[in-house]
Amino acid sequence: MDLELLLGVGRFLLATTLLLLLTVPTAFIIIQIELKVIASMNLRLGPNRIGPSGMFQSTIHGFKVLAKEDTVPDQADRGTFTLAPWMVYMAAAMSMLVIPFAPGAIAADFNIGIVYFFAVLGLSVVGLLVAGWASYNKYSLLGGLRAAAQMVSYEIPLTLSIVGAVVLAGTLNFSELIIWQLDHGWLLMWQPVGLGIFYVSSLAEVNRTPFDMVEADSELVAGPFTEYSGMRFGFFFFAEYVALFIMSGILVSLFFGGWLAPWPFPAQLEGFGGTLYGIFWFFLKTYIFVFIAVWLRATLPRVRVDQLMSMAWKVLLPLALVNLFVTAIAVVVFDL
Amino acid sequence: MTGIDPETRIPDPIELDRAEEERLRAVAGLTPVRASGGEYAGFEQVGIPDRPPQTEREREVYTLDEGEMLVNMGPQHPSTHGVMRLVVKVRGEIIVDIDPVLGYLHRGIEKLCENATYTTVLTYVDPMDYLSTMHNEHAPAIAFEKLYGVKAPPRAEYIRALVVELNRIFSHGLMMGFLALDMGGITPILYAFINRDEIVDMLSAISGQRMLFNFFRVGGVNFDTNDEFLSRLGTWRGNVMKNIEMNERMITENEIFRARTIDMGTLTGQQAISLGVTGPNLRACGVPFDVRKAKPYSIYHELEFDVITQQGGDSYARYLQRIAEIKQSIHLIDQIIDKMPHGSVQAQVPGIIRPRPGRAYGAVESPRGLYSVYSISDGGPNPYRFRMRDPSFISLQALPKLMPGRLVADTMAVMASLDPVMGGVDK
Repeated sequence: MDLELLLGVGRFLLATTLLLLLTVPTAFIIIQIELKVIASMNLRLGPNRIGPSGMFQSTIHGFKVLAKEDTVPDQADRGTFTLAPWMVYMAAAMSMLVIPFAPGAIAADFNIGIVYFFAVLGLSVVGLLVAGWASYNKYSLLGGLRAAAQMVSYEIPLTLSIVGAVVLAGTLNFSELIIWQLDHGWLLMWQPVGLGIFYVSSLAEVNRTPFDMVEADSELVAGPFTEYSGMRFGFFFFAEYVALFIMSGILVSLFFGGWLAPWPFPAQLEGFGGTLYGIFWFFLKTYIFVFIAVWLRATLPRVRVDQLMSMAWKVLLPLALVNLFVTAIAVVVFDL
Repeated sequence: MTGIDPETRIPDPIELDRAEEERLRAVAGLTPVRASGGEYAGFEQVGIPDRPPQTEREREVYTLDEGEMLVNMGPQHPSTHGVMRLVVKVRGEIIVDIDPVLGYLHRGIEKLCENATYTTVLTYVDPMDYLSTMHNEHAPAIAFEKLYGVKAPPRAEYIRALVVELNRIFSHGLMMGFLALDMGGITPILYAFINRDEIVDMLSAISGQRMLFNFFRVGGVNFDTNDEFLSRLGTWRGNVMKNIEMNERMITENEIFRARTIDMGTLTGQQAISLGVTGPNLRACGVPFDVRKAKPYSIYHELEFDVITQQGGDSYARYLQRIAEIKQSIHLIDQIIDKMPHGSVQAQVPGIIRPRPGRAYGAVESPRGLYSVYSISDGGPNPYRFRMRDPSFISLQALPKLMPGRLVADTMAVMASLDPVMGGVDK
């Protein structure tokens, strides 16, 4: 009994440590993808000095940030100013707990994983709001308020868009949801409207172009991050890219079959080989969506803050409700 | 220790500062620090003289109602197109009022020009509006030629028109890019710079410099065309339409771009005329005024072109106007190359010009509007008075009229659509 508890605690500690360690290379890789992909889309070379074809540019940036002086504005509220990057980063890192990388490779396989995920990811808005308030800077304040308005509004269509999927699959557990997709086909085919709403809302939720209101550099300098420097800024930056990875991962798990291979013969394998096989497909699909987000950033301008809001409340929310309604009726009528 | 003669000691720098301070205080009409015989008071107590009394307009902007705050955009804001400060009065994110504060890039170019000879004035005007350097040189060249009574040879006039239209193309191209950049689109500006680099390389082949070309002379141009210029021109002409359309495809039909520019910052023709706005910004309101047509200079009376106008008067119309003008300029360049005569490119003009006393006005259609020079000669080697009308400065006046009631996010987008260049605004 005691041994079992100890094992459980040990497993949990190991898993969280691994996940925290995973966030660092994830951020580096995505920043590198962004640097290189946007450069090639802009007909530039991009970074090409550090490592083969500039591979380690983002890593060097990361270490450079560590070495920078960490300044706090005179008038800033020191306590909360220091706390804010931590809050944002922890929200991103904590939501990684429930990401299903492969069969058997989930840090915490809750039966309410989906609820947990949205609850925790939403915490990052507190960090942004606190950062904006504590900086004692008008740009930061405007950015923080924008963050609060935007993320709170988009949380609703984001959450509602997957309720349809949950109703269909009858589970709130990520791995059970993926197993359901193994039997019934990817949810992409069952919930195309839900997928669309989820994708748009998730871009807004992680502040990616075209919804990067929060740190709109041509309007608000850097939004809530304006006064941050050194590793505190680095944490915000990291958290942003980790959140992009997490959102892409969740999108893949919910609608694109997670760790399942795109063909039915062996969609998944047993044992340790199966875990590796699952991890391969999960990361491949996730990075495809990361790539699409980067592609959007290179292509689209930014929407305005009022257009963003009216889209959330006037388009996405009603659409999500209709989607849920139709799904629920279909489940009852066709006894799915 | 060897004694130092107290009579010859070096004065203490602090003593010097005190003497200077006493002098300044006397000038400012303040009581001397040590008048009371007390200890030295130090710099803190000198204080800053009071601000001059506010004007009515300043009082209107700087008086805050409940729930309003002032945000300083600039001079170090990432997207104010140079160093300009916008004091924005906001209520939440809604703009109540705007006060543009200019002068951060003032270099006193007009005064510099008044102390330079007529030939060297053409080098001083280069860095004014640094995106339309050729136009900057064209207007004083016209004015000085009128003043001195010399005419540039026909080939020189054709080369002038050619380089000026090339300059217009890259300036308008950059405006497309900057407009998208200020809305968060990062790619169009880089495509615009690729196009600009091609033109700038071409112009540096003919003039010898990449940005501040210094190509015009009183009575002609500095160099005739050369092989490198012509071969670059040919290559560029071959793929310019493709490049422009590639960039245009990213912007023109983009839903987000349209939503952010249509009906945004709308100027009516009447408003634009009364503000003195000229150039593409005026033509985008449907007013067909183009200096090249209204008062043809150089060789524009020999070329076939129409004055393009748009109807909207909003940011989107201003953007479309620029695209249309780029295409028109390419059409003009084709005609210029077709008709270019042979001959000399420089009239006989002495090194130091001493025009007879008189006054002259030269106006050109720069990418930002009516750019003109008014110069008075007193018979000496340098202009007695040299005054420039810069179109960016006047376009910028429209900003406080356009912005109230809009959002902070629109400030930069509307300003980019007016396309001001701070080097020209502040002179």
